[in-house]
Amino acid sequence: MSIPLDQILIQTVNGLVNGMILALVASGLTLIFGIMDVVNFAHGDLVMLGGFTGAVTIAATGNFWLALLVAVLVIAVFGAALQATTLRPLLGRDPLTTILATFGISLVLQKYALWQWGPSARRIQEPLTGQFQLFYLQYPWYRVLTAVLSAAIIGGFWLFLRHGKYGIWIRATMQDRIMASAMGIPVPWVHTGVFAIGAGMAAASGVLFGPLGGVTQNMGLDFTLRAFIVVVVGGMGNLGGSIFAAILISLLEAYASLVVSPAQAVIVSFVVLILTLLFRPTGLFVPTPK
Amino acid sequence: MLTLTEVHTYYGKSHILLGVSLEVQPGEVVGLLGRNGVGKSTTLKTIMGLVRPSGGHVRFEGREIAGTAPHRLAHAGLAWVPEDRRIFRLLTVMENLRTGLDRPGMTEARRRELLDKVYAHFPVLAERRSQAGGTLSGGEQQMLAIARAMMLEPKIILLDEPTEGLMPRMVGQIREIITLLHQDRVAILLVEQNVPLTLDVSDRVYIMEKGLVRHHATAAELRADHAVIHQYLGV
Repeated sequence: MSIPLDQILIQTVNGLVNGMILALVASGLTLIFGIMDVVNFAHGDLVMLGGFTGAVTIAATGNFWLALLVAVLVIAVFGAALQATTLRPLLGRDPLTTILATFGISLVLQKYALWQWGPSARRIQEPLTGQFQLFYLQYPWYRVLTAVLSAAIIGGFWLFLRHGKYGIWIRATMQDRIMASAMGIPVPWVHTGVFAIGAGMAAASGVLFGPLGGVTQNMGLDFTLRAFIVVVVGGMGNLGGSIFAAILISLLEAYASLVVSPAQAVIVSFVVLILTLLFRPTGLFVPTPK
Repeated sequence: MLTLTEVHTYYGKSHILLGVSLEVQPGEVVGLLGRNGVGKSTTLKTIMGLVRPSGGHVRFEGREIAGTAPHRLAHAGLAWVPEDRRIFRLLTVMENLRTGLDRPGMTEARRRELLDKVYAHFPVLAERRSQAGGTLSGGEQQMLAIARAMMLEPKIILLDEPTEGLMPRMVGQIREIITLLHQDRVAILLVEQNVPLTLDVSDRVYIMEKGLVRHHATAAELRADHAVIHQYLGV
Protein backbone atom coordinates (compact mmCIF):
# COMPACT_ATOMS: atom_id res chain seq x y z
CA MET A 1 0.00 0.00 0.00
CA SER A 2 1.44 3.35 -0.89
CA ILE A 3 0.38 6.69 0.54
CA PRO A 4 0.68 9.80 -1.63
CA LEU A 5 3.27 12.31 -0.46
CA ASP A 6 0.76 15.18 -0.32
CA GLN A 7 -1.35 13.28 2.23
CA ILE A 8 1.70 12.66 4.37
CA LEU A 9 2.58 16.36 4.27
CA ILE A 10 -0.97 17.37 5.18
CA GLN A 11 -0.91 14.98 8.13
CA THR A 12 2.45 16.43 9.16
CA VAL A 13 0.89 19.89 9.35
CA ASN A 14 -2.11 18.48 11.23
CA GLY A 15 0.14 16.63 13.65
CA LEU A 16 2.21 19.74 14.34
CA VAL A 17 -0.89 21.88 14.93
CA ASN A 18 -2.49 19.37 17.31
CA GLY A 19 0.85 18.75 18.96
CA MET A 20 1.38 22.42 19.82
CA ILE A 21 -1.99 22.79 21.58
CA LEU A 22 -1.36 19.54 23.43
CA ALA A 23 2.13 20.78 24.35
CA LEU A 24 0.60 23.92 25.85
CA VAL A 25 -1.69 21.82 28.08
CA ALA A 26 1.07 19.35 28.94
CA SER A 27 3.60 22.09 29.81
CA GLY A 28 1.39 23.30 32.63
CA LEU A 29 0.76 19.78 33.84
CA THR A 30 4.43 18.79 33.86
CA LEU A 31 5.44 22.05 35.48
CA ILE A 32 2.96 21.54 38.33
CA PHE A 33 4.19 17.99 38.78
CA GLY A 34 7.83 19.03 38.60
CA ILE A 35 7.54 21.63 41.31
CA MET A 36 5.13 20.11 43.82
CA ASP A 37 4.90 16.42 42.89
CA VAL A 38 1.18 16.79 42.28
CA VAL A 39 -0.48 15.13 39.30
CA ASN A 40 -3.27 17.57 38.60
CA PHE A 41 -6.19 15.48 37.40
CA ALA A 42 -8.27 18.65 37.14
CA HIS A 43 -5.92 20.12 34.53
CA GLY A 44 -8.22 19.34 31.60
CA ASP A 45 -11.09 20.95 33.47
CA LEU A 46 -9.07 24.15 33.67
CA VAL A 47 -8.84 23.92 29.86
CA MET A 48 -12.63 23.56 29.81
CA LEU A 49 -13.21 26.46 32.22
CA GLY A 50 -10.85 28.59 30.12
CA GLY A 51 -12.85 27.69 27.02
CA PHE A 52 -16.16 28.66 28.63
CA THR A 53 -14.73 31.86 30.09
CA GLY A 54 -13.50 32.71 26.60
CA ALA A 55 -16.85 31.83 25.01
CA VAL A 56 -18.76 33.98 27.51
CA THR A 57 -16.38 36.91 26.98
CA ILE A 58 -16.71 36.65 23.20
CA ALA A 59 -20.49 36.52 23.50
CA ALA A 60 -20.34 39.75 25.51
CA THR A 61 -17.64 41.64 23.61
CA GLY A 62 -17.19 39.92 20.25
CA ASN A 63 -13.44 40.20 20.65
CA PHE A 64 -11.46 36.94 20.48
CA TRP A 65 -8.19 38.44 21.70
CA LEU A 66 -9.83 40.07 24.68
CA ALA A 67 -11.50 36.73 25.42
CA LEU A 68 -8.15 34.95 25.32
CA LEU A 69 -6.65 37.47 27.74
CA VAL A 70 -9.63 37.43 30.10
CA ALA A 71 -9.75 33.62 30.17
CA VAL A 72 -6.02 33.36 30.94
CA LEU A 73 -6.18 35.93 33.74
CA VAL A 74 -9.42 34.67 35.30
CA ILE A 75 -8.34 31.03 35.28
CA ALA A 76 -4.85 31.89 36.55
CA VAL A 77 -6.37 33.69 39.55
CA PHE A 78 -8.84 30.85 40.00
CA GLY A 79 -5.95 28.34 39.85
CA ALA A 80 -4.02 30.29 42.47
CA ALA A 81 -7.02 30.24 44.81
CA LEU A 82 -7.57 26.54 44.14
CA GLN A 83 -3.96 25.70 44.94
CA ALA A 84 -3.81 27.81 48.08
CA THR A 85 -7.02 26.37 49.51
CA THR A 86 -6.93 22.71 48.51
CA LEU A 87 -3.41 21.64 47.52
CA ARG A 88 -1.18 23.70 49.79
CA PRO A 89 -2.41 21.92 52.94
CA LEU A 90 -1.68 18.55 51.31
CA LEU A 91 1.92 19.30 50.28
CA GLY A 92 4.28 16.47 51.15
CA ARG A 93 1.47 14.01 51.90
CA ASP A 94 1.04 10.67 50.21
CA PRO A 95 0.54 11.22 46.42
CA LEU A 96 -2.79 9.40 46.73
CA THR A 97 -4.27 12.29 48.72
CA THR A 98 -3.44 14.84 46.03
CA ILE A 99 -4.68 12.51 43.30
CA LEU A 100 -8.00 12.19 45.13
CA ALA A 101 -8.13 15.92 45.79
CA THR A 102 -7.51 16.94 42.17
CA PHE A 103 -9.89 14.23 40.94
CA GLY A 104 -12.54 15.64 43.28
CA ILE A 105 -11.86 19.15 42.01
CA SER A 106 -12.29 17.83 38.47
CA LEU A 107 -15.73 16.42 39.25
CA VAL A 108 -16.85 19.61 40.99
CA LEU A 109 -15.69 21.78 38.07
CA GLN A 110 -17.47 19.58 35.53
CA LYS A 111 -20.73 19.65 37.46
CA TYR A 112 -20.41 23.39 37.91
CA ALA A 113 -19.95 23.83 34.17
CA LEU A 114 -22.94 21.60 33.48
CA TRP A 115 -25.08 23.64 35.88
CA GLN A 116 -23.81 26.98 34.65
CA TRP A 117 -23.57 26.46 30.89
CA GLY A 118 -25.61 23.33 30.19
CA PRO A 119 -24.73 20.13 28.35
CA SER A 120 -24.48 21.47 24.79
CA ALA A 121 -21.24 22.46 23.10
CA ARG A 122 -20.32 26.09 22.53
CA ARG A 123 -18.32 27.01 19.54
CA ILE A 124 -15.98 29.98 19.69
CA GLN A 125 -15.87 32.10 16.53
CA GLU A 126 -12.34 32.09 15.18
CA PRO A 127 -10.68 35.51 14.76
CA LEU A 128 -9.25 34.51 11.41
CA THR A 129 -11.43 32.84 8.80
CA GLY A 130 -9.12 32.72 5.78
CA GLN A 131 -7.84 29.53 4.19
CA PHE A 132 -4.92 28.64 2.03
CA GLN A 133 -4.36 25.94 -0.55
CA LEU A 134 -2.55 22.92 0.90
CA PHE A 135 -2.42 20.48 -2.01
CA TYR A 136 -6.06 19.46 -2.58
CA LEU A 137 -7.25 20.97 0.74
CA GLN A 138 -8.45 24.39 1.78
CA TYR A 139 -6.47 24.61 5.00
CA PRO A 140 -7.68 27.18 7.59
CA TRP A 141 -5.14 29.80 8.60
CA TYR A 142 -6.58 29.69 12.09
CA ARG A 143 -5.17 26.20 12.70
CA VAL A 144 -1.70 27.46 11.82
CA LEU A 145 -2.27 30.46 14.07
CA THR A 146 -3.08 28.24 17.08
CA ALA A 147 0.19 26.38 16.63
CA VAL A 148 2.14 29.63 16.35
CA LEU A 149 0.39 31.14 19.40
CA SER A 150 0.90 27.99 21.48
CA ALA A 151 4.57 27.99 20.57
CA ALA A 152 4.80 31.69 21.42
CA ILE A 153 3.22 31.17 24.84
CA ILE A 154 5.52 28.24 25.63
CA GLY A 155 8.52 30.19 24.35
CA GLY A 156 7.57 33.23 26.41
CA PHE A 157 7.30 31.07 29.50
CA TRP A 158 10.67 29.48 28.76
CA LEU A 159 12.28 32.93 28.58
CA PHE A 160 10.58 33.83 31.87
CA LEU A 161 12.08 30.70 33.46
CA ARG A 162 15.58 31.39 32.11
CA HIS A 163 15.81 35.04 33.03
CA GLY A 164 14.99 37.04 36.08
CA LYS A 165 14.39 36.49 39.72
CA TYR A 166 11.13 34.55 39.53
CA GLY A 167 12.52 32.14 36.95
CA ILE A 168 15.41 31.38 39.31
CA TRP A 169 12.96 30.92 42.19
CA ILE A 170 10.91 28.42 40.19
CA ARG A 171 13.92 26.45 38.96
CA ALA A 172 15.54 26.40 42.41
CA THR A 173 12.29 25.21 44.00
CA MET A 174 11.94 22.48 41.35
CA GLN A 175 15.42 21.19 42.08
CA ASP A 176 15.41 21.35 45.88
CA ARG A 177 12.35 22.66 47.66
CA ILE A 178 13.96 22.49 51.11
CA MET A 179 17.17 24.27 50.18
CA ALA A 180 15.17 26.89 48.28
CA SER A 181 13.13 27.70 51.37
CA ALA A 182 16.30 27.84 53.48
CA MET A 183 17.61 30.44 51.01
CA GLY A 184 14.64 32.66 51.72
CA ILE A 185 12.56 31.77 48.66
CA PRO A 186 8.86 31.81 49.65
CA VAL A 187 8.23 28.27 48.43
CA PRO A 188 4.48 28.14 49.22
CA TRP A 189 3.95 31.22 47.04
CA VAL A 190 6.19 29.85 44.28
CA HIS A 191 3.93 26.78 44.24
CA THR A 192 0.83 28.93 44.04
CA GLY A 193 2.38 31.06 41.30
CA VAL A 194 3.39 28.06 39.22
CA PHE A 195 -0.07 26.54 39.58
CA ALA A 196 -1.53 29.85 38.41
CA ILE A 197 0.79 29.90 35.38
CA GLY A 198 -0.10 26.28 34.55
CA ALA A 199 -3.81 27.10 34.89
CA GLY A 200 -3.41 30.17 32.67
CA MET A 201 -1.68 28.08 29.99
CA ALA A 202 -4.51 25.52 30.20
CA ALA A 203 -7.08 28.32 29.81
CA ALA A 204 -5.24 29.63 26.74
CA SER A 205 -5.40 26.15 25.18
CA GLY A 206 -9.12 26.03 25.93
CA VAL A 207 -9.79 29.28 24.09
CA LEU A 208 -7.47 28.41 21.18
CA PHE A 209 -9.12 24.99 20.86
CA GLY A 210 -12.65 26.44 21.08
CA PRO A 211 -13.03 27.27 17.36
CA LEU A 212 -11.63 23.84 16.37
CA GLY A 213 -13.51 21.42 18.57
CA GLY A 214 -16.01 23.44 20.56
CA VAL A 215 -16.25 23.77 24.34
CA THR A 216 -18.21 21.23 26.38
CA GLN A 217 -18.42 20.56 30.08
CA ASN A 218 -16.95 17.07 29.73
CA MET A 219 -14.03 17.91 27.41
CA GLY A 220 -11.60 18.07 30.34
CA LEU A 221 -11.07 14.37 30.84
CA ASP A 222 -9.80 13.88 27.30
CA PHE A 223 -7.31 16.75 27.69
CA THR A 224 -6.14 15.46 31.08
CA LEU A 225 -5.63 11.96 29.73
CA ARG A 226 -3.77 13.05 26.60
CA ALA A 227 -1.61 15.55 28.49
CA PHE A 228 -0.87 12.95 31.15
CA ILE A 229 0.32 10.47 28.50
CA VAL A 230 2.54 13.17 27.02
CA VAL A 231 3.96 14.06 30.42
CA VAL A 232 4.79 10.44 31.24
CA VAL A 233 6.36 9.84 27.82
CA GLY A 234 8.35 13.09 28.02
CA GLY A 235 9.51 12.41 31.58
CA MET A 236 7.52 13.66 34.57
CA GLY A 237 8.50 17.24 35.31
CA ASN A 238 10.60 17.65 32.16
CA LEU A 239 9.30 20.67 30.22
CA GLY A 240 11.31 20.15 27.03
CA GLY A 241 10.53 16.43 27.05
CA SER A 242 6.80 17.10 27.27
CA ILE A 243 6.86 19.46 24.31
CA PHE A 244 8.73 16.95 22.15
CA ALA A 245 6.49 14.12 23.31
CA ALA A 246 3.35 16.15 22.51
CA ILE A 247 4.53 16.78 18.97
CA LEU A 248 5.80 13.23 18.51
CA ILE A 249 2.57 11.59 19.66
CA SER A 250 0.39 13.98 17.67
CA LEU A 251 2.43 13.35 14.53
CA LEU A 252 2.25 9.58 15.01
CA GLU A 253 -1.52 9.81 15.50
CA ALA A 254 -1.85 11.98 12.40
CA TYR A 255 0.16 9.51 10.31
CA ALA A 256 -1.78 6.58 11.75
CA SER A 257 -5.04 8.18 10.67
CA LEU A 258 -3.83 7.77 7.07
CA VAL A 259 -4.28 4.02 7.35
CA VAL A 260 -6.91 3.63 10.09
CA SER A 261 -9.82 5.79 11.19
CA PRO A 262 -8.98 8.83 13.38
CA ALA A 263 -10.82 7.19 16.30
CA GLN A 264 -8.54 4.17 16.03
CA ALA A 265 -5.46 6.35 15.57
CA VAL A 266 -5.80 7.43 19.21
CA ILE A 267 -4.58 3.94 20.11
CA VAL A 268 -1.13 5.03 18.92
CA SER A 269 -0.67 7.28 21.94
CA PHE A 270 -1.43 4.39 24.28
CA VAL A 271 1.01 2.19 22.42
CA VAL A 272 3.70 4.85 22.81
CA LEU A 273 2.81 5.15 26.50
CA ILE A 274 3.06 1.42 27.12
CA LEU A 275 6.33 1.09 25.18
CA THR A 276 7.77 4.03 27.11
CA LEU A 277 6.78 2.56 30.46
CA LEU A 278 8.24 -0.80 29.45
CA PHE A 279 11.57 0.39 28.12
CA ARG A 280 12.18 3.94 29.38
CA PRO A 281 10.07 4.25 32.54
CA THR A 282 11.52 7.67 33.40
CA GLY A 283 10.50 9.08 30.00
CA LEU A 284 11.96 9.16 26.51
CA PHE A 285 14.19 12.06 27.35
CA VAL A 286 16.48 12.04 30.35
CA PRO A 287 14.39 13.71 33.03
CA THR A 288 15.53 16.76 34.90
CA PRO A 289 17.68 15.48 37.75
CA LYS A 290 16.37 16.74 41.05
CA MET B 1 21.03 35.38 70.40
CA LEU B 2 20.08 31.77 69.62
CA THR B 3 18.83 29.63 72.49
CA LEU B 4 17.58 26.06 72.44
CA THR B 5 15.83 24.86 75.59
CA GLU B 6 14.99 21.18 76.07
CA VAL B 7 14.28 20.65 72.37
CA HIS B 8 12.73 17.31 71.38
CA THR B 9 12.52 16.24 67.74
CA TYR B 10 11.12 13.10 66.15
CA TYR B 11 11.58 11.64 62.67
CA GLY B 12 8.41 9.63 62.33
CA LYS B 13 8.46 7.45 65.44
CA SER B 14 12.17 7.68 66.21
CA HIS B 15 13.05 10.16 68.91
CA ILE B 16 16.19 11.94 67.64
CA LEU B 17 16.64 14.91 69.96
CA LEU B 18 15.87 14.12 73.60
CA GLY B 19 15.96 17.59 75.09
CA VAL B 20 18.83 19.54 73.54
CA SER B 21 19.77 22.82 75.19
CA LEU B 22 22.44 25.15 73.90
CA GLU B 23 23.02 28.79 73.11
CA VAL B 24 25.01 30.95 70.74
CA GLN B 25 25.90 34.56 71.50
CA PRO B 26 26.18 37.23 68.77
CA GLY B 27 29.41 36.87 66.82
CA GLU B 28 30.40 33.71 68.61
CA VAL B 29 31.72 30.55 66.94
CA VAL B 30 30.29 27.53 68.72
CA GLY B 31 31.34 23.98 67.89
CA LEU B 32 28.97 21.03 68.08
CA LEU B 33 30.88 17.77 68.25
CA GLY B 34 29.72 14.18 68.48
CA ARG B 35 29.82 10.86 66.70
CA ASN B 36 27.70 10.06 63.67
CA GLY B 37 23.99 9.83 64.28
CA VAL B 38 23.82 11.60 67.65
CA GLY B 39 21.55 14.34 66.29
CA LYS B 40 23.91 17.16 65.31
CA SER B 41 22.46 17.69 61.84
CA THR B 42 18.94 17.31 63.18
CA THR B 43 19.69 20.05 65.70
CA LEU B 44 20.63 22.40 62.84
CA LYS B 45 17.57 21.39 60.79
CA THR B 46 15.33 21.96 63.78
CA ILE B 47 16.74 25.46 64.26
CA MET B 48 16.27 26.24 60.54
CA GLY B 49 12.61 25.24 60.72
CA LEU B 50 13.07 22.24 58.41
CA VAL B 51 12.04 19.82 61.12
CA ARG B 52 9.39 20.80 63.60
CA PRO B 53 10.32 20.11 67.23
CA SER B 54 7.71 18.27 69.27
CA GLY B 55 8.71 20.02 72.48
CA GLY B 56 10.97 22.67 73.94
CA HIS B 57 11.81 26.17 72.78
CA VAL B 58 13.93 27.56 69.97
CA ARG B 59 14.44 31.29 70.44
CA PHE B 60 16.23 33.66 68.10
CA GLU B 61 16.84 37.20 69.36
CA GLY B 62 14.29 36.59 72.08
CA ARG B 63 11.54 35.42 69.72
CA GLU B 64 10.16 31.87 69.59
CA ILE B 65 10.94 30.53 66.12
CA ALA B 66 9.92 26.87 66.38
CA GLY B 67 7.37 26.28 63.62
CA THR B 68 8.30 29.40 61.63
CA ALA B 69 8.66 28.82 57.86
CA PRO B 70 12.33 28.46 56.80
CA HIS B 71 12.12 31.30 54.27
CA ARG B 72 11.08 33.71 57.01
CA LEU B 73 13.99 32.55 59.17
CA ALA B 74 16.35 33.10 56.24
CA HIS B 75 15.14 36.71 56.06
CA ALA B 76 15.37 37.06 59.85
CA GLY B 77 19.12 36.32 59.75
CA LEU B 78 19.61 32.55 59.87
CA ALA B 79 21.49 30.72 57.14
CA TRP B 80 22.03 26.99 56.72
CA VAL B 81 24.91 25.29 54.91
CA PRO B 82 23.86 21.64 54.78
CA GLU B 83 26.13 18.65 55.09
CA ASP B 84 25.56 17.50 51.52
CA ARG B 85 25.88 21.14 50.26
CA ARG B 86 22.66 20.96 48.25
CA ILE B 87 23.88 23.16 45.44
CA PHE B 88 21.18 23.84 42.85
CA ARG B 89 22.93 21.65 40.30
CA LEU B 90 21.18 22.95 37.18
CA LEU B 91 21.47 26.60 38.17
CA THR B 92 24.66 28.47 37.30
CA VAL B 93 27.01 29.58 40.07
CA MET B 94 25.67 33.12 39.68
CA GLU B 95 22.06 31.92 39.84
CA ASN B 96 22.86 29.89 42.95
CA LEU B 97 24.15 33.08 44.57
CA ARG B 98 21.11 35.02 43.36
CA THR B 99 18.76 32.71 45.29
CA GLY B 100 20.05 34.54 48.36
CA LEU B 101 20.51 37.95 46.74
CA ASP B 102 17.08 38.51 45.22
CA ARG B 103 15.27 39.46 48.38
CA PRO B 104 13.25 42.46 49.47
CA GLY B 105 15.20 45.57 50.40
CA MET B 106 18.33 44.77 48.38
CA THR B 107 19.96 47.67 46.56
CA GLU B 108 22.10 47.32 43.45
CA ALA B 109 25.12 48.72 45.32
CA ARG B 110 24.73 46.25 48.17
CA ARG B 111 24.42 43.34 45.75
CA ARG B 112 27.63 44.41 44.02
CA GLU B 113 29.40 44.72 47.36
CA LEU B 114 28.34 41.25 48.53
CA LEU B 115 29.30 39.63 45.23
CA ASP B 116 32.68 41.39 45.19
CA LYS B 117 33.30 40.16 48.70
CA VAL B 118 32.67 36.48 47.96
CA TYR B 119 34.49 36.68 44.64
CA ALA B 120 37.49 38.13 46.50
CA HIS B 121 37.46 35.21 48.94
CA PHE B 122 36.51 32.55 46.41
CA PRO B 123 38.04 33.70 43.09
CA VAL B 124 37.16 30.33 41.54
CA LEU B 125 33.46 31.18 41.86
CA ALA B 126 33.99 34.34 39.82
CA GLU B 127 35.73 32.31 37.13
CA ARG B 128 32.91 29.79 37.02
CA ARG B 129 29.98 32.13 37.48
CA SER B 130 28.22 31.01 34.30
CA GLN B 131 28.87 27.32 34.84
CA ALA B 132 26.18 24.96 36.21
CA GLY B 133 26.59 24.31 39.93
CA GLY B 134 26.56 20.56 39.37
CA THR B 135 29.77 20.74 37.31
CA LEU B 136 31.87 22.10 40.19
CA SER B 137 34.22 19.89 42.20
CA GLY B 138 33.32 18.91 45.76
CA GLY B 139 35.49 21.62 47.28
CA GLU B 140 34.16 24.28 44.92
CA GLN B 141 30.59 23.23 45.74
CA GLN B 142 31.35 23.65 49.44
CA MET B 143 32.67 27.16 48.76
CA LEU B 144 29.57 27.93 46.72
CA ALA B 145 27.35 26.63 49.53
CA ILE B 146 29.06 28.92 52.04
CA ALA B 147 29.12 31.87 49.60
CA ARG B 148 25.42 31.35 48.88
CA ALA B 149 24.63 31.49 52.60
CA MET B 150 26.70 34.69 52.87
CA MET B 151 24.42 36.32 50.27
CA LEU B 152 21.69 36.39 52.93
CA GLU B 153 23.91 38.55 55.17
CA PRO B 154 23.03 36.26 58.06
CA LYS B 155 23.54 36.98 61.73
CA ILE B 156 24.24 33.30 62.29
CA ILE B 157 25.35 30.52 59.94
CA LEU B 158 24.49 26.90 60.75
CA LEU B 159 27.47 25.14 59.20
CA ASP B 160 27.12 21.37 58.87
CA GLU B 161 30.38 19.42 58.38
CA PRO B 162 31.95 21.84 55.91
CA THR B 163 35.23 19.88 55.68
CA GLU B 164 33.68 16.47 55.08
CA GLY B 165 35.36 14.75 52.16
CA LEU B 166 37.60 17.71 51.30
CA MET B 167 41.31 17.68 50.49
CA PRO B 168 43.59 19.07 53.25
CA ARG B 169 44.26 22.21 51.20
CA MET B 170 40.51 22.89 51.01
CA VAL B 171 40.16 22.33 54.76
CA GLY B 172 42.64 25.18 55.23
CA GLN B 173 40.43 27.43 53.08
CA ILE B 174 37.35 26.54 55.11
CA ARG B 175 39.25 27.42 58.27
CA GLU B 176 40.17 30.80 56.74
CA ILE B 177 36.59 31.57 55.80
CA ILE B 178 35.29 30.68 59.27
CA THR B 179 37.90 33.01 60.80
CA LEU B 180 36.87 35.70 58.37
CA LEU B 181 33.17 35.38 59.14
CA HIS B 182 34.11 35.51 62.83
CA GLN B 183 35.91 38.80 62.23
CA ASP B 184 32.77 40.10 60.53
CA ARG B 185 30.87 39.29 63.73
CA VAL B 186 28.77 36.58 62.08
CA ALA B 187 27.90 33.90 64.64
CA ILE B 188 28.53 30.31 63.58
CA LEU B 189 27.15 27.07 64.93
CA LEU B 190 29.65 24.57 63.54
CA VAL B 191 28.89 20.86 63.36
CA GLU B 192 32.10 18.95 62.65
CA GLN B 193 33.87 15.61 62.90
CA ASN B 194 37.22 17.34 62.54
CA VAL B 195 38.10 17.89 66.21
CA PRO B 196 41.36 19.85 65.83
CA LEU B 197 39.71 22.30 63.43
CA THR B 198 36.70 22.74 65.69
CA LEU B 199 38.80 23.34 68.80
CA ASP B 200 40.92 25.75 66.80
CA VAL B 201 38.18 28.03 65.41
CA SER B 202 35.50 27.80 68.12
CA ASP B 203 35.02 29.90 71.25
CA ARG B 204 32.93 27.25 72.99
CA VAL B 205 32.11 23.63 72.25
CA TYR B 206 29.14 21.40 73.01
CA ILE B 207 29.52 17.63 72.81
CA MET B 208 26.46 15.58 71.92
CA GLU B 209 25.74 11.93 72.59
CA LYS B 210 22.52 10.06 71.77
CA GLY B 211 20.32 13.09 71.23
CA LEU B 212 21.56 15.06 74.22
CA VAL B 213 24.24 17.61 75.00
CA ARG B 214 26.58 15.75 77.38
CA HIS B 215 29.37 18.21 77.82
CA HIS B 216 29.95 21.90 77.46
CA ALA B 217 33.27 23.74 77.76
CA THR B 218 35.31 26.50 76.22
CA ALA B 219 37.51 25.41 73.35
CA ALA B 220 40.56 26.36 75.39
CA GLU B 221 39.55 24.02 78.21
CA LEU B 222 39.04 21.16 75.78
CA ARG B 223 42.36 21.81 74.10
CA ALA B 224 43.99 21.38 77.53
CA ASP B 225 41.90 18.35 78.53
CA HIS B 226 41.99 15.66 75.90
CA ALA B 227 40.44 13.05 78.19
CA VAL B 228 36.95 14.51 77.62
CA ILE B 229 37.36 14.43 73.88
CA HIS B 230 38.58 10.86 74.10
CA GLN B 231 35.70 9.84 76.33
CA TYR B 232 32.95 11.11 74.04
CA LEU B 233 34.49 10.96 70.60
CA GLY B 234 37.06 8.20 70.94
CA VAL B 235 39.85 10.20 69.33
